[in-house]
Amino acid sequence: MPMDRYIGIAGKKLSHTDIVRVCVILSLTMCCILLTSVSLSLRVETIYSQLFYFPILYAAYFFPRRGLYLAGFCAIVYEILAYVYLFPNTSALLLTTGQAILFICIAGVVSYFIEKINSSEARYRSIFDTSLLGIVLFDQNSFAIRMANSYFLQILGYSQEELHAMTFPQLLSSKDEQRRFFEFLGSSEDVINFETMLLTNRQETLWVNLSWSRINGNLVSCSVINIDERKRAEQDARENYQQYQQVTESAPTSIVILKNNVIVYVNPSFLAFSGYELGELIGKDLYMFIHADDRDEFPVFSETADSRIPLPGMTEIRLLAKNGESRLAAFFFTWIIQKGSPAVLINLMDITERERLKQTIAKDNERRRGIISTVAHELRTPLQPIMGYLNLLTEDPQTYGVTDETRAILNRCAKSVDRERQIINQMLELSVLDSGKIPLKYSKFSVYSMLKTILDAGGYITKADITLDVPQDLTIEADENKVSIVIESMLSNAINYSKPPRKVRIMYSTSPADPMHRLSIQDNGIGITNSQLDEIFEPFQLPDSGNMSRKYDRIGLSLSIAKKYVQMHGGFISVDSIVNLGSTFTIHLPKQRPEEEISHDV
Amino acid sequence: MTYKILVVEDDQAILDLMDLLIRKLGYEPVLIGNGIDALKSIQADPPALILLDIMMMPLNGWEFLEKLRTECRMKDLPVIIFSASPAVDEHIAKIRDPHLGVLHKPVSLAELRDTLKTYLP
Repeated sequence: MPMDRYIGIAGKKLSHTDIVRVCVILSLTMCCILLTSVSLSLRVETIYSQLFYFPILYAAYFFPRRGLYLAGFCAIVYEILAYVYLFPNTSALLLTTGQAILFICIAGVVSYFIEKINSSEARYRSIFDTSLLGIVLFDQNSFAIRMANSYFLQILGYSQEELHAMTFPQLLSSKDEQRRFFEFLGSSEDVINFETMLLTNRQETLWVNLSWSRINGNLVSCSVINIDERKRAEQDARENYQQYQQVTESAPTSIVILKNNVIVYVNPSFLAFSGYELGELIGKDLYMFIHADDRDEFPVFSETADSRIPLPGMTEIRLLAKNGESRLAAFFFTWIIQKGSPAVLINLMDITERERLKQTIAKDNERRRGIISTVAHELRTPLQPIMGYLNLLTEDPQTYGVTDETRAILNRCAKSVDRERQIINQMLELSVLDSGKIPLKYSKFSVYSMLKTILDAGGYITKADITLDVPQDLTIEADENKVSIVIESMLSNAINYSKPPRKVRIMYSTSPADPMHRLSIQDNGIGITNSQLDEIFEPFQLPDSGNMSRKYDRIGLSLSIAKKYVQMHGGFISVDSIVNLGSTFTIHLPKQRPEEEISHDV
Repeated sequence: MTYKILVVEDDQAILDLMDLLIRKLGYEPVLIGNGIDALKSIQADPPALILLDIMMMPLNGWEFLEKLRTECRMKDLPVIIFSASPAVDEHIAKIRDPHLGVLHKPVSLAELRDTLKTYLP
């Protein structure tokens, strides 16, 4: 035991007590030599050879092997003294020789037995000390701790001295544990596997398993197994399980666990969703609760469940609730390990309401389109006679007696009717675009000749100074009709929101790495303020709806339509504008037509 | 000879107008207020072209067209749908009739002239 402090002497480690013993032995030996030489020199008949047994036996007891050396040394000294003083008395010399040999023999026998005893004790002590089992000995009456091995000291963090001042029950973590300990101690002689918590020197609790038995005297030997890690792992696992349970039990989405296609767990949300009781679900095949039309979509998990089998992604399946209603749910599948073997965890989200809402919206949209269609019909029909008669009157002024002055007025009326028609048609176009039903008719065409056609047909050349900065050999792939409507609305916009002298520049730009065609229409008009930029593409917005709407009486539907057309191509329109200096509208069209458009192609 | 153009239309205001417009364009108008009478008239005296309204009672424009093509076997007779309803385009795309055109009300005299010219040279 590492209790004594050691001091190195001549390479050997000696404790304080050992040093005292060595001193005693050496001084006894000196005394013996002195007394023997005095008695020999005085020719005293009685020779005190027995004196030598004191240091020899003392040394042999404490230091067995060295005791033998000491005996040899004493024998030699004794013989030398005898020769010095007794020569040539042969019989006396023989006697002293015998006595010297006896020193060695006795020392030999004693050290042999002492050594033997020591080595067996050392064996036990080493077992005691190196054991990974804590061993503590305490008094069965006073419970005072008598001894503890190093492992026990190590797990509790006490020193031997500190423990010696304590009683064993003091080590227990609480009064309750102490009471339990005393109950067990009193109940029988020997106890095994008593699990309790000890308090370490750092005031931490430590789970241990105690077994004790009474040994000789009043001692109780108690072995201590450190089960702290196991206990804590168990506790963690229990807490994890509780947490997991809380999460699943309180989850707003439904959770089902399937093992070999059979329901082994459902959470309360699922019970609420399906309307079934727990007992009606556990042990049943989930397949039976799925709407007959959707059963094909439900994956079948093989009997030998294997977590390597890929699971389907999100699947929408209808479940049959207890009240017979079918409820649509989004299923999410995951492999989990449940009680050591693979199982399928299903998260379900009730999307019945979402689906119902979708249908309602679709129905509303359908109805809205119906209303718009009827309204358009009712608005357009009365325009026909107005437009027709106006055309007749202006084309045939003589027949109907129309003067030039009246004709000019009638022409203005016809223009108004024409605009009215245009607005209704744009409204209709927007409502159809909102339903997203119109496919694009892609073709390759020359941008330059398309622009020429637009400029000639619309008479724009007379209204503004137009610069065409577009390569003549440029062809793009798009819906020509829609692109030309877009450009026309940009052009008429540029002209409507500027004052003479109007300057419009149409530019094309791109680069080989650029995935877009970029066509810009620049004007010197009134410009658009930042706050209006977001709004001008919204239906029924005008640049500055307060003042300008009266001056430039145009409804802003054409920009909304243009934006939608460009978006259908996978592109966008951007605007750069400086108030009172002008605006640049840029149409960005992808060079590559979008995938879905290719597949739509007939 | 002048081409006969049959207008099937239940709105008298439109019929009155079409009478003048068609005459103005140099064709001969035949004006009938409902589909059933129109079918009878076609069998007796087929026109060169029909301007057909859709929203009519008791026979609507589509039913009229169906009877014209099957019962009257007038497969090649040009028919121009003449309606203010925006839903007609979708239906026209669906039935794929090669001798079917469309004019959305209101049409100008110029538009009417151009369209008729393409069918009646």
